[in-house]
Amino acid sequence: MGWLTSLFGSSNTSNTTRSPTPDFFDADGVPNMVHQRLADSKSGTLPWVSTLTAPEMALARSHGLRMLAPIAATCWMHYGFSWTEGHAQGWRTAIKRLQAEAVALGANAVIDVRMVTVDLYLENSMDYSLVGTAVRIEGLSPSTEPVISTVPALEFMQLLEAGIIPVGLAVGARFEWSNGPLDTGGGWWGNQPLLQTTAFWERIRRHAHADLRADAARQGSGVLAQLQFSQLIRLESESRNNPLLGRHIVMGTVVDCPRGVAVPHEVEFVLDLSDKRDNLRSTSEHHNAYSDGI
Amino acid sequence: MPENTMQDVTAQLPANAKARLQGLRSAAHPTSVFTSDLSVNEFLLVRKAGFEPIGLCVGSSIYHVGIQYGSWNKNQELEVLSQAMYHARELAMSRMREEARGMGADGIVGVRLEIKHVEWDADILEFVAIGTGVVHNHDTKGFRAHDGGPFTSDLSGQDFYTLLNSGYRPIELVMGSCVYHVAHRGMLKAFNQAGRNVELEQFTQAIYSARELAIERMQIEAQTAKAEGVIGTMIHEKSYRWESHVIEFFAIGTAVAPLNVEIDAKDIPAPTLVLSVND
Repeated sequence: MGWLTSLFGSSNTSNTTRSPTPDFFDADGVPNMVHQRLADSKSGTLPWVSTLTAPEMALARSHGLRMLAPIAATCWMHYGFSWTEGHAQGWRTAIKRLQAEAVALGANAVIDVRMVTVDLYLENSMDYSLVGTAVRIEGLSPSTEPVISTVPALEFMQLLEAGIIPVGLAVGARFEWSNGPLDTGGGWWGNQPLLQTTAFWERIRRHAHADLRADAARQGSGVLAQLQFSQLIRLESESRNNPLLGRHIVMGTVVDCPRGVAVPHEVEFVLDLSDKRDNLRSTSEHHNAYSDGI
Repeated sequence: MPENTMQDVTAQLPANAKARLQGLRSAAHPTSVFTSDLSVNEFLLVRKAGFEPIGLCVGSSIYHVGIQYGSWNKNQELEVLSQAMYHARELAMSRMREEARGMGADGIVGVRLEIKHVEWDADILEFVAIGTGVVHNHDTKGFRAHDGGPFTSDLSGQDFYTLLNSGYRPIELVMGSCVYHVAHRGMLKAFNQAGRNVELEQFTQAIYSARELAIERMQIEAQTAKAEGVIGTMIHEKSYRWESHVIEFFAIGTAVAPLNVEIDAKDIPAPTLVLSVND
């Protein structure tokens, strides 16, 4: 039974505290509890672990990627004033923490980063978690600012070969209350574009996209595969004159690349004779990678 | 794959990629950050085709759809509703196109048209058109639509690349709409036909008429855009919470024309046939 107790250890059993541990994170944002594991993974004392599938691993190895360890970062946020803008803040904090862990590992990049949340919705709060695999690239010195790639390993390599680096995640989020119900078209039998409502809605969207661009500009040159979430609701209330609430969130993978560089690979046209659904006929999965995020 | 390419890829990585992976920031891109909803593969193919994405283009319109009832026993188009669907989509599409024109795009790929109900009123619909604006690396005029503005198309990055390689270019996302009231059957007739299998001729005819109108309107749009043909046409039939016998036929597709420098049919790459042995 010795090995079993060593697995579950006795050191953690007294760790059922009711209040948060004061020095949970170190100065860089890495939890003290993972220091040892990261150090051992870096030195090779612990076996490497990765989220890659077998074919992805084959490609990663052939391209000089050395897998180090899976790392994760979480920020559980309570929405004090805004659910919408909480999203931007939550994800940004999680990214910083993930990056700090990657630095501790001496990594060049974190690939296959997925956005995950637990479906709990406790007291106006939600967790923003990122899970990915930290990698070293043979022949390169460790990075002070590892890139966070929200694309799978296959696509990571594909992009690198074309001189495009997936570097991070950008978020733009805005909300706004309208002053009253705006134009409703109620009582009209005819067709009528609702210009005020359209303009109100468009303003929120533009602001969210401007946020996204500003966030992306800090990291790279463009945003791919973005996901949007938007909602326009009317609040029924006597005192506040039925105002509209519009909220808009956009997120996407940030890439960094010079403009107009040729893609080195030849494209060959193929027809798959199998009758099954296959990757040759669909690319939609990538767009869905974020879908359980919000 | 030959052995040497297996090993030396790190050495072959582009210099900017190596620098960035070691934590060195490139000279940043203060002026032009593009946004797009292209996937990684779409992005690569759009670039391979000689285009660069420059920004997401969105146009929307929140629209109050008027009310019109069809006569109980008559097949007829409900013009008020047809016009509403047309007008609102047109507003969303043209706003998206204006946004693209504003950023100097030569075209918009991957356009999606979405229609949503607002929560508080069944007669108010929200129409949104979203796509990624692209520019060509050197031939910025040759791909524009006939009016000198950006082309629009609902083709994915993959389809876009394939279309260009087969010698055609997209011109305009064209559509046709018809909202139609399908007549109710008279009580007496329904009674007479009870227990028998009969074709409901009036229903069949209604579907034919409505579909024809929608396709015809789409074709006229394509003709106006000086297209040679329309690819990827979809014909949707949908009822937007209207009364039970009202249905909208909506045809949408990408109008295309041959490239300015036409590709000879024999130069179009024939696809290689493959059989995936993966299970």
